[in-house]
Amino acid sequence: MNPLLQVDAIQKTYTTGGHAFNALDGVSFTIDHGEFVGIMGPSGAGKSTLLNVLATIDTPTDGDIFVDGENIAKLEEEALSDFRRDHLGFIFQDYNLLDSLTVRENILLPLAVTKTPIDETRSRVEALAHRFGITAILDQYPYQISGGQKQRTAVCRALISNPKLIFADEPTGALDSKSATDLLQTLAGLNEAETTIMMVTHDAYAASFCRRVLYIQDGRLSKELIRGTTSRDAFYQTILDELKGGASDDAV
Amino acid sequence: MTLFDLAKKNVARNLSRYALYVGTTIFSIIIYFTFATLKHSDEISGMAETSGQIRSLMSASTFILLVFVALFIAYSNAFFLKGRKREVGLYSLLGVRKKQIGTLLLFENLVIGAVSLLVGIGLGLLGSNALLQLLLRLMNSDLSIGFTVATSALIETTLVFVAIFLFTSFQGYRVIYRFKLIELFHADKKGEDVPEASPFMALLGVFVLGAAYWLALQDLATSPLWGYLTAAMPLLIIGLTIVGSGLLFHSVLIFILGRLKANERWSWRRLNLLTTSQLLYRIRGNAKTLTLISIISATAITAGGAIFSVYYYAEQQVTSYAPYTFAWQGEARDIDADVLHQTTVLEKTVRVAGEMGEREYGVIDESTFRAVATDLGWDTPPALTQNQVYLIDPFYDERFSENVTEVELDGVTHEVASRYDETPLNVMTFGGLLLVTPDDVFTALSEPATTYQAVSVADYKEQTALSESLSIEANFSSATALYSEAMAVHGALLFVGSFLGLVFLVATGSIIYFKTMTEAEEDRAKYAVLRKVGISKRDVKRTIRQQIAVVFLAPFSLGIVHASVALVAFSRLLGMNFTVPVLVWMALYSAIYALYYVLTVRRFTKQIL
Repeated sequence: MNPLLQVDAIQKTYTTGGHAFNALDGVSFTIDHGEFVGIMGPSGAGKSTLLNVLATIDTPTDGDIFVDGENIAKLEEEALSDFRRDHLGFIFQDYNLLDSLTVRENILLPLAVTKTPIDETRSRVEALAHRFGITAILDQYPYQISGGQKQRTAVCRALISNPKLIFADEPTGALDSKSATDLLQTLAGLNEAETTIMMVTHDAYAASFCRRVLYIQDGRLSKELIRGTTSRDAFYQTILDELKGGASDDAV
Repeated sequence: MTLFDLAKKNVARNLSRYALYVGTTIFSIIIYFTFATLKHSDEISGMAETSGQIRSLMSASTFILLVFVALFIAYSNAFFLKGRKREVGLYSLLGVRKKQIGTLLLFENLVIGAVSLLVGIGLGLLGSNALLQLLLRLMNSDLSIGFTVATSALIETTLVFVAIFLFTSFQGYRVIYRFKLIELFHADKKGEDVPEASPFMALLGVFVLGAAYWLALQDLATSPLWGYLTAAMPLLIIGLTIVGSGLLFHSVLIFILGRLKANERWSWRRLNLLTTSQLLYRIRGNAKTLTLISIISATAITAGGAIFSVYYYAEQQVTSYAPYTFAWQGEARDIDADVLHQTTVLEKTVRVAGEMGEREYGVIDESTFRAVATDLGWDTPPALTQNQVYLIDPFYDERFSENVTEVELDGVTHEVASRYDETPLNVMTFGGLLLVTPDDVFTALSEPATTYQAVSVADYKEQTALSESLSIEANFSSATALYSEAMAVHGALLFVGSFLGLVFLVATGSIIYFKTMTEAEEDRAKYAVLRKVGISKRDVKRTIRQQIAVVFLAPFSLGIVHASVALVAFSRLLGMNFTVPVLVWMALYSAIYALYYVLTVRRFTKQIL
């Protein structure tokens, strides 16, 4: 079976004042159906650029990105929007909810533009809200709810269109440790229910929930850690050790 | 780096924001200076002696303009400052003293003021000269004047704007002192609660507006309300309209949007949800602005419509009062022009008792009436039988006038066969009320007959010299003189009216533009989210178009409705049909307003995508 996501030698070059800078320098990897992959790396290593390019928010200078066999690096603007809406889900550090919409409306927004029948929209929202325990706050506004609830709302919105792949960008960055653990368990649970997730994080604890961690540095993949059958705690330790090694490299 | 360098850098970096503000002030100065020039112009005041009302009209208009310009600049300055509160906060955070920041802003505003004043007056000199020519044209004057610089206008404009700039500078200074650092940072972030409309207030709004309209459409002559309230009536109407408009935007609009949003079948389609929410979210802050805009638009459309209508019908008015170019009492004279018709008319004067007291009629015989009717191209009147007369009453108004059905002449009662609401003979010479009797009745009347001359000349508008040479005759009336007088007054009115109308139009457009662009800056993040969750540019553009359309259209349509009611009331009062000129005026106004809409949508889209 083809991999869900195949990244093939992508390159992203920024040119400022005649000076070229490679934010991504020939990154290649694949993610299979049902994986939970973490992307780690120090600030400025190219994590965000990679996520933006994969998320079709930015376009690579060179290289191909195949999602389920479709090359999204070559899609036109309008087709990209549709692709993003129908096949990708996003969770951001700062939630990115719209203040003027209620929780329910925030969740259903991506469906509204696809002309989904109202009853189906309603039942999907209800089901997701139930699953993530936010049924009670469906009619409240984002400024009335907690950070953890906001992030769960964002997760529901990411899942509403049954995406093939979920991108999470530092999803725990703005949460306290309790809410962060809840969210990570939620994501891990989702993954067990066959949702493919790619998460960018700088936090070893968050990364330890993943099945596999890719380490990126100076625009290149430098390491790959696989959790395999080890426990989450053991994997956390492995990641920490790697980070220490990386940190001492940095110090040189 | 000195404070001065900082200020310079600041201006250079935020050029587009400054450009908008400076543009507004320059525009205001140009307008004001132009108007002041016209007011102080010798040519206009020279003419004012002949046409009377122009000077006071100009003064009153200048005053309105002054108030308006001051408000407009204060408004755009407030917007300008609001957008910069964060920058000011940053200085403060970096340890710059409030006093220094205040000085910086003061200095900056004064520089902007000085530059705007120079540019504005420079452009105003060109503009005022061009407009002066246009005005003279409209007034149908053959005066020609060269390029003029009005010193008094220069001084007046400078004084007015220095005062305005000092005021806004002081305002800016106060902003720095009054606000706390934390507020400065959140100045443009304060989210407004999602408003809920009470159905009671919404109903009240509709009711108040309905009442205002009902009052406005009451007949001045017959309604007892006008009798009780007299001068308070217009104030009451205006007050109710303003309150009603306010309620409409505050409650009715929110009520409707709330209903729309609650209707999932509609709102859960495309970005309708977002469109209504955004509008709801902002509407409370916008309600005052929208009310203001609807009132300004209504004023501009009403005033412009009425003035344009009067101008449009000026010529018709002249020919209805003076169907013959010249008329006078006495003998015929040689006319040095292309004479179309020339008639000698014998008129007798009778006094007849009526219900409302004795009335004086001029009497002419049937042959004369037939002759003048033929001259004027009227249908030949049917022959009168014995004891019948025609009554001519150009001032007849069913609300005030007695409906005369019979008159007694020399003890014999004559039936009024029919009434003409138009006179075939110049009112100023022959009087308005005329009776047409059979020839033998006319001859038999004991009153003495007076001889008059009535002459029609080709190109009557151009016969000024001839008109003057004839003006020594007794009871002289001249369509030429009447026309040039009407043009002088109405032309000036039209000019002032369309000028102010244009200013108001630009102001309303600019206010919405400012408001929307400020929102664009705050909303950028929101639209970025939309793009990230996969909503296409096309859909985003669509919701932007719709949102801005509501903000533009709602106050404008209300303004149009207000204006229509007011114009219907006016046209009834004056007994004139305004439909054509008013529609032309409204179309013109809407077209320019629509341009503003297109421009705003473009800029907004560019800003956030």
